[in-house]
Amino acid sequence: MHSEQIVGVEHHHDSDSTDVFGFWLYIMSDCILFACLFATYIVLNLPGSPGPDLKNFIDLSDVLIETFFLLFSNFTFGLAMLNVYQHRIRKTQAWLLISFLLGMSFIIYELKEFIHLAGEGFRWDYSAKASSFFTLVGTHGLHVSCGLVWIILMMIQLSLVKDESILKRRMTYLGLFWNFLDIVWIFVFTIVYLMGAL
Amino acid sequence: MRDDVNQPDYGTGKKKLSIYVIGFSLCIILTLIAFGSVMENLFSRSQTFIIIYAAACIQFIVQVLCFLRLNTQTEQSKINVMSIIFAGVILIVIIIGSLWIMRNCNYNMM
Repeated sequence: MHSEQIVGVEHHHDSDSTDVFGFWLYIMSDCILFACLFATYIVLNLPGSPGPDLKNFIDLSDVLIETFFLLFSNFTFGLAMLNVYQHRIRKTQAWLLISFLLGMSFIIYELKEFIHLAGEGFRWDYSAKASSFFTLVGTHGLHVSCGLVWIILMMIQLSLVKDESILKRRMTYLGLFWNFLDIVWIFVFTIVYLMGAL
Repeated sequence: MRDDVNQPDYGTGKKKLSIYVIGFSLCIILTLIAFGSVMENLFSRSQTFIIIYAAACIQFIVQVLCFLRLNTQTEQSKINVMSIIFAGVILIVIIIGSLWIMRNCNYNMM
């Protein structure tokens, strides 16, 4: 009887870890999606490819501000994660709200940049270069927007769900996702913006 | 105070404020190094190229270690490391492979 109980507990823990591993595999497959977009972008932007260059249209200091918004958002999410592990739900929600606002500022900056680029004549239907740029950066932006919706849902769940193990598991999913987006952004920042400006 | 010994971490390591702060400040420094070297034009083109890629790779490692908390302590985190290595291999095949093919195409079309 006693050993059965232990097996039951272990099984529950195991299935939780399997769930998180499944989410991890989703993140890895998303990585491969981004790898394809990066490969497309690099190939279409090899020296000598036709179309106007991005660097004539972009202000790099705006991009730096965007980078810091995302990085700060990641850090505040880390603080939310710490608080959920210390059973402080209100504080977790407050840090999540700050992460949300920072992520939101990132998206607003990015949209402003897109509108500015389109207005200046760097449109997605203009050249293969521009198309690959908007596809890559746009896909990342779409992921961040989904993450923002998810953060709102998580904040609601934190008030509704009382079972802390469920909350921790869901926060782990969101944390992996949010962090992954920042990691992708490092490479967007380096390959698209910094390389483009060289 | 509850004990933290039996906290499930799903292979993502123990949560510590100090590690987040270290990771965060390293990321800021590396971003500024990459950005500064491009904006100030202190180095030649190829040197700048190396600096920004090195900064990106180091920042990638810092983020994976400090924020994703990848480690090899438990069975699950070992599986996570295996899958990230697998994804890395595919990623390199896709990016290097397409660059290689397209450069050759370019060469043969000339």
